[in-house]
Amino acid sequence: MGGYSVGIALLLAVWAYVGIVLQLGPGLWWTEALISGFVTGVIVGNIPLGLTIGATLTLLSLGLWTYGGATIPDFQTGAIVGTAIGALAGGVGPGLAVAIPTALLMTQMDVLGRAVTTIFIHGADRYAEDGNERGVVAMHLLGQLPWGLSRFIPVFLAIWLGSGPIQSVIKSSPQWFFNGMTAVGHVLPALGFALLLTMLPLRRYWPYLLIGFVAFAYLNMPIIGIAILAVAVGFLMNSLQTRRGEVNV
Amino acid sequence: MSEQIENEETRTGLEETVPVDTTGETVPVDTAGKGAATNGANGAVALEPSVVNRAMWRHLITLQWSWNYERMQALGYLYSMLPVIDAVYKTREERIAAMKRHLVFYNTNPQVGSPPIFGATVALEAQREGEVVDSLKVGLMGPLAGIGDTIQAILYRPIVAVIAASLALAGSVLGPIIMFLSGILWTILMIPLFRLGYRQGINVTQEVTEGGVLSRITDMATTMGMIVIGGFIPSIMAAVKTPLKYAQTVTANGQTHTETVALQSVLDKIVPYILPVAFVALAYWLMRGLKLSAVWTLIILAVLAFVLSLIGFL
Repeated sequence: MGGYSVGIALLLAVWAYVGIVLQLGPGLWWTEALISGFVTGVIVGNIPLGLTIGATLTLLSLGLWTYGGATIPDFQTGAIVGTAIGALAGGVGPGLAVAIPTALLMTQMDVLGRAVTTIFIHGADRYAEDGNERGVVAMHLLGQLPWGLSRFIPVFLAIWLGSGPIQSVIKSSPQWFFNGMTAVGHVLPALGFALLLTMLPLRRYWPYLLIGFVAFAYLNMPIIGIAILAVAVGFLMNSLQTRRGEVNV
Repeated sequence: MSEQIENEETRTGLEETVPVDTTGETVPVDTAGKGAATNGANGAVALEPSVVNRAMWRHLITLQWSWNYERMQALGYLYSMLPVIDAVYKTREERIAAMKRHLVFYNTNPQVGSPPIFGATVALEAQREGEVVDSLKVGLMGPLAGIGDTIQAILYRPIVAVIAASLALAGSVLGPIIMFLSGILWTILMIPLFRLGYRQGINVTQEVTEGGVLSRITDMATTMGMIVIGGFIPSIMAAVKTPLKYAQTVTANGQTHTETVALQSVLDKIVPYILPVAFVALAYWLMRGLKLSAVWTLIILAVLAFVLSLIGFL
């Protein structure tokens, strides 16, 4: 039954820390559920599970974005904890049963991390007043601590202490529960697509939505084919617009 | 609100525990102008390429490391600008004034929006145009947040994510690899955007506000995005099917007999993939029609799917 070793827990916690800080910095997308789930899958030795959980979470986050610094469900941590515990507890259903609540609960840690960082800007004010540039630099670089630790600590505790107990709760759950969670996993990408559509000018662009649908549903076109079709139509419409513009002028 | 109050209370205590190097209290004045050559009476300086690069990399790598609710990206901006401030301003008083200027509220899209703004302000600081720098930051951070977030969060990321996730769901490691490479590409793009801002200086405002090219690109990307989404809704949610069957009495050649019909095959004859489309439409209506938040929509969808699975519909 046992959980994970301290070493694995530490490794995953460091992965979470580095992921969020680099997302703030260069923005390498390591916080994407697909990437963090995959890397977790590699670390715990269950790559297919990491791919499935990461991809499911990525799809339901399609339209989510931290507009103006808003807090959104933390699918990075969700994918890490969900994949790690799912690998022990027997697959996608249990993994998602852990991943989604984790992602929602972690919004509290995100708010905390964003709030605590305020300390450093006040520190920087004081150092700037004194003309102490090294102090200002230190304040900025230390700003990563609340951000990173607000991921590091929950991931470490959940994997190290939590995986045993959570796993035994999951193991004693009935089969219908996992069937239900698997169905949830299949349906939830609808949220990502719908969110995205609420942000796009659907009223003007809906015909293109139908073109894509027909290509797959009736013509059985593979996904890469649809992507190529999309590029072609995009450029075609662009050049048609340009030409119309020239005629009108 | 509550976390801000809490934050105010804990501030003093935490600040003292932060290990800060305070040995550099006085900035040696004689390093002034080290990375720059003065020309002209107004003190405008030509920045060494190494100073410009140092500023660019600081901005690229660490802009949001100290992001906070109060002034958001302000401290990251100041940290990135420090090499330029050191090179341009010679007296301690001038530097303090410059540092304080950059500690005011600043927030924009970090990857598409901020690099051109930062590039332009680096060029302007070198001309000692502090006031112009401030108004340029305030004037452009809003529009570029809008444009940048649209391109990044509604077009580029979702299209990449959908393709990568569908590959991953099919069990291919290519999925995360595509995602990973796309993230790197997006980061590298910050370099030419910074250069653009640096070259244009104050003229960068025109590029943004006229925006002919930008709106064309947005149009094109929206068209592509729509087609891709239209194709991906059925392909990614293909597993959403009903296993329900029902018995039907058929009369053929005067004989009646019952046969089992799969509900899914009936649905497929009407419109294929009607269940995935129905779920997306429901989620869209919950958010657009009923104005529910994404989190509530998520919970409703999850409960609905769970219950439908219990009664054997999914």
